[in-house]
Amino acid sequence: MILGYLGAGALLAGVVLGGFSALLSFFAGWRRADLFIQVGRRAFYAAAAMTAIAAVLLEIALLTHDFSLAYVVEHSDLATPMALVAAGFYGGQEGSLLYWTLILGVLGTASLVTAASLGGRVLAYATGILASILTFFLFVLAVVASPFDLLSVTPPDGLGLNPVLRDGGMLIHPPVVLAGFAAFAIPFAFACAALIAGRTDAAWIRHTRRFALLAWSLQSAGLLLGMWWAYHVLGWGGYWSWDPVENVALMPWLATTAYLHSSQVQEKKGRLRNWNFGLVILAFLLVVLGTFIVRSGVVPSVHTFAISAIGPWFLGFLAVCVVFAGAVLALRIGVAESRPAEAPLLSREGAFTLQNLLLLGVIAVVLWGTILPLVSGMLGTERVVDAPYYQRAAGPILVAVLALMAVGPLLPWRRAGKATWKALRWSIAAAAIVTAALLTIGWGWGAIAIGLAAGGVATVATEYARAARRNPRLLVIKRRRYGAYLAHVGVLVVAIGIAASQFGQQEKDMTLRPGESVTVAGYTLTYTGSEQQQLADHTEFIAAMRFGGTALAPSRATYAGLGGQALTHVAISTTPLADVYVVLAGLNVDGSASFRVLVNPLVTWIWAGGVILILGVVLGNVGEREMAAELARRRIPITLPA
Amino acid sequence: MSALLRWGVPAAVVAACVGYLIYSASGGSSVYYVTVSQLRAHSPAGDVRVAGVVENDVQKSDGGLHVTFTEKDGADTLPVEYSGTLPDIFQPGITVVAEGRLGKDGVFHARTLLAKCPSRFSTQPYTQ
Repeated sequence: MILGYLGAGALLAGVVLGGFSALLSFFAGWRRADLFIQVGRRAFYAAAAMTAIAAVLLEIALLTHDFSLAYVVEHSDLATPMALVAAGFYGGQEGSLLYWTLILGVLGTASLVTAASLGGRVLAYATGILASILTFFLFVLAVVASPFDLLSVTPPDGLGLNPVLRDGGMLIHPPVVLAGFAAFAIPFAFACAALIAGRTDAAWIRHTRRFALLAWSLQSAGLLLGMWWAYHVLGWGGYWSWDPVENVALMPWLATTAYLHSSQVQEKKGRLRNWNFGLVILAFLLVVLGTFIVRSGVVPSVHTFAISAIGPWFLGFLAVCVVFAGAVLALRIGVAESRPAEAPLLSREGAFTLQNLLLLGVIAVVLWGTILPLVSGMLGTERVVDAPYYQRAAGPILVAVLALMAVGPLLPWRRAGKATWKALRWSIAAAAIVTAALLTIGWGWGAIAIGLAAGGVATVATEYARAARRNPRLLVIKRRRYGAYLAHVGVLVVAIGIAASQFGQQEKDMTLRPGESVTVAGYTLTYTGSEQQQLADHTEFIAAMRFGGTALAPSRATYAGLGGQALTHVAISTTPLADVYVVLAGLNVDGSASFRVLVNPLVTWIWAGGVILILGVVLGNVGEREMAAELARRRIPITLPA
Repeated sequence: MSALLRWGVPAAVVAACVGYLIYSASGGSSVYYVTVSQLRAHSPAGDVRVAGVVENDVQKSDGGLHVTFTEKDGADTLPVEYSGTLPDIFQPGITVVAEGRLGKDGVFHARTLLAKCPSRFSTQPYTQ
């Protein structure tokens, strides 16, 4: 009871402090009042601290089973293991918003503490924007969807959580994705602040690079963890279903991928300034749009949050963000004017620009597919698209991106000549050989995609070999560059895994009697018999299968307390070339059992690629010297001429 | 001017390609998302998706690989037939989305069957 009052109080205090910080900071930036800038910034820290207090109180309420709080009742019970009770913090609508706000407060604080070098006005406006976003979230939490709502009667036990969600994947996937979402606000705030203040040099890019990279890495990891969880737990044999929930997480990731590349053109050559502002703003707007779509139920989705009252609030917030960002961009575009691009198409600049255009194309495809039900519903009968639309529309663009990954890193800045073609010979050879080999087994587009990915790996190998020949220490000194190439390898390995499992998947439904065997894609499985286990709250039906020397035990649990809800436990056996994925559909009275068997080639490459990707980001940035310090050492002025 | 041409033309070409891909792909693979009553009133040609609540008349055969049931939406009902593995949370009372077409026999032959996921961490299955 007391926790509920304290939590609601902390949220309200946060709203007041955040609103005060926002108003004061904008005023201070306008009047260049240094004292007010300091006060505004400290008010933001205080609002962030209130958020942290509210988060701690909710976690205490969950762990102490305080069933006077509706949120605790709805998302935990006495029987749930403690780790999952703790995870209930970000498991529901209200709690996940509070978690998001907490991360926004923490990262916002970190970004403001280290931003002194950007100058008072940029700092003031960035504080104002971050405080506005924080205040909006705190307001929604305090007024519309509070995790601290009290029940009039305290029940003896909570409702617990659905068995589908009683899984370790539940502990790490949501917080990573939500933290990624929250992190996109930092580059947005500083980009808009730099625009308003008229500081359009690359200083804001350098300051927010870490945060953009953090957002991108978290989102990469979050997407892959979600895919891993769906593949291992949901038991439908795939890992990505182009559901709106997945799409809205993918789009900001694509926009930030584009930005991480185009920002280098500005850092190194001082070009593409307006473009970079646009990409960072787009990424944040996509996050807000996605949050509105996912949490309002406006488009049909298999896993929408329960429809709640926060939808209209997020639509309003989206409208305010679009108008604000649009106005800032439109009014300040002249200030940010950069020199016209002088480089020819066939250059590093050209490759970055083309990559940006292609990724924007993928965003357009995904966005259209996601909002089509909304648009068509307004004009007539609601229409939806599914996987074939995305494969046909986004597939060719993604193949073009793979081709660019094979060529781009070897293109020099400014101009490509004969030497470039010579450098590309290994990549072209690798791509040609792999494509030709795979075409013989009839993978069509998959052969081309995997071939190009092999070419990309050869390109990275060429770059490493060049550096090693010149001076092996370069790999450490320029680790930002070579770390990025390692991240490229990660993406390419993921791409190979996706292409192989998309084009090479084979599946078969069958009913087997004990002793009978079945062969799918050359893998033979034998059904040996079944058993039944009665556990505390569910009955487990287990089918035993023999696959080579290993035993597989796909099973189904039936929860009597949940109206007989079933839960499939998939059995997966990983061989070097493919996963054998067995789903038990049911046991029959005559002793036979029905199965769905899938053979998914190279799925493990997707998870391995994710690890390589994160490794590349980490190795490339550990102890990386600040760009500003590097430029100062080389006596290059930090502020490029406008 | 030349810079504008050099960058504007490729950008326009990429935009045109993306536009064409979206247009051709969404024309070929979009399906109507209708309610049971809309389907009863006017059945569009080709595949449709129908959402509704599973009634208490689920009949399973072939070890659970074949199922028939009734989908209800408001006052209208629709018999549905489906072959394949069922979603885990499939049971009477949950909302499902069936994709397929309405046969001449008045039975909806579903090609795929999606179940609405439960709201995270809540035991009450999500129903509309």
